[in-house]
Amino acid sequence: MKLIWKLLRQHISIGEFAVFVVAGIVGMLIMLTGVQLYSDIRPMLTGEKSLIGNDYMIVTKPVKRVGISSTNFSTDEVEAFRREEFVIDLGEFLSSQYEVYGSVMFNGRKLSTMMFFEAVDDKFVDVETDRWHFDGITSSIPIIIPRNYLNLYNFGFSQTQGLPQITEALIKSVELDIRLSGNGYSDHLPARVVGFSDRLNTILVPMEFMQWANERYADSSAKEVSRLIVEVKNPGAPEVMTYLDQMGYQAEEKAAESSKALFLLQVSVAVIIFIGLVFSILSIFILTLSIYLLIEKNSEKLRNLALICYTPQHIAKPYNLITASLNLAIFVVSIVATLLIRAKYLGYISEIFGIEVGGTALVAIVTGIILSVAITAFNVLIIRRKIRLISSKR
Amino acid sequence: MKTIKLQRVLPRIFADRKSDISSDIWLSDVAFERGRSYLIEADSGKGKSSLCSYLYGQRNDYEGTILFDDSDISSLSLDEWSAIRRGSISILFQDLKLFAELTALENVEIKSQITHFSDRATIERRFEELGIADKLNTRIDRLSFGQQQRVALIRALSQPIDFLMLDEPISHLDERNSATMRDMILAEQRRQGFGIIATSIGRHIDMNYDKVLKL
Repeated sequence: MKLIWKLLRQHISIGEFAVFVVAGIVGMLIMLTGVQLYSDIRPMLTGEKSLIGNDYMIVTKPVKRVGISSTNFSTDEVEAFRREEFVIDLGEFLSSQYEVYGSVMFNGRKLSTMMFFEAVDDKFVDVETDRWHFDGITSSIPIIIPRNYLNLYNFGFSQTQGLPQITEALIKSVELDIRLSGNGYSDHLPARVVGFSDRLNTILVPMEFMQWANERYADSSAKEVSRLIVEVKNPGAPEVMTYLDQMGYQAEEKAAESSKALFLLQVSVAVIIFIGLVFSILSIFILTLSIYLLIEKNSEKLRNLALICYTPQHIAKPYNLITASLNLAIFVVSIVATLLIRAKYLGYISEIFGIEVGGTALVAIVTGIILSVAITAFNVLIIRRKIRLISSKR
Repeated sequence: MKTIKLQRVLPRIFADRKSDISSDIWLSDVAFERGRSYLIEADSGKGKSSLCSYLYGQRNDYEGTILFDDSDISSLSLDEWSAIRRGSISILFQDLKLFAELTALENVEIKSQITHFSDRATIERRFEELGIADKLNTRIDRLSFGQQQRVALIRALSQPIDFLMLDEPISHLDERNSATMRDMILAEQRRQGFGIIATSIGRHIDMNYDKVLKL
């Protein structure tokens, strides 16, 4: 090996290999950073505690004219929607079909208002509470309100009116008096806010309460569904937006924004990875060319080696070793640089959005290993072909 | 390998003048046997280099059939040829095919390291016998052609051999040196029992040939 190395190392162009290594590092670095960035950011756009939204969409029909028009979903429409490929689960919002009148004692005064309730299957409720059940007329009604309502009061209303801000705990401690009436009945029930939702933009009660109350107070038994909650695989998928457009449905802005952001992320990452790929292909091209040239310059010696009994595998060994070491160097440098860049951008993310990104750099490492092995295998194949060609030349 | 047979072999370049060919080898049936010595005498232009190239797998532009122990060599693969060159047929090339960048010793070792046949002591003893012991670590391109021929012979003997082909082995050697070279070849032949196929266009290495063929 030492002798054959001594024989073949002539004509090695450090310049050509340097260009290959630099191009290889640039390409690999861009690709690895691309996939790592994607895998780090994607959960922020789609996960439970997501930055912009999540995989749930609230879908309604648009109100086209003032007055009572049908914005309800028919059973057929709901079933058709449920059968779409991108839908994981679908829930219907059930609204109260009776009068609801809520009052609360505040500073010794009684504040009252008309209100409404909606209910949805428990599996769509994003609030963890052990009080989310209803046991009949003697029990208290648990209510979940959107966290937005509280924020609106605390950051919009109270400050301008000189009123004190209130905490979630305070609201949960207040007992509400709810009067339900209809169908000849009228009852007072206590109620309490048990949680705040980021996902459901309504005044939510448990499904079991809603069924009980609709049966007791509603005039008709017709079920009216005006809003749907849809869990989708990927809100960024174009087919989701296409389907909504086609059916004339609208998704609540939050989810739509999320899907747009996710779509943009996917497009940008695809572009980044593509650029990295171009660099890598370029670098492979340079290496291939440079190895070809090297073999060509040494072809006389290679032929003689073959004639004194060297097999093509023997002859290829030093060349394989060169490419394997170069590719290893590229992998090591790129992966270290990727980790450094990741540490940097994770720092920015936690600074700007206050989110600690979990997960590991495994995606980049595994991708890097796969790419390096694939590139090396490709190089080895090319070298083998070229050397066999030279050895068999007569 | 016990025999090499040529059956009506003819270089393709001679195909258009078949009727002029009068040769003991071309268009004849010839067999070379292991353990015996053959001298092939030729004038230049008779295809001596072609014959060596065919038998060593460098070229295959011939008509007819060449058999190694009854198997046609035209279908041998690159790897099979490597194996034959490693353990069965050795050749002393007319143009030597040494590596100018390497020393005399390295030129032998680059082969013996693959064949694991001759140890360092054997190699050094041969350098001594051929009178070039002081050139062991000299770059090959600093040696005279005669000295290079001797190095090439030591390299050629560094492997198991069934047939040793000598392509004008002593063209640049004096009587004394060609005699020592012959002695070394014969000693190794006694040890390994290989066949010798030597070619010559004029002077030939002096030994008891079993058969002299005219190309």
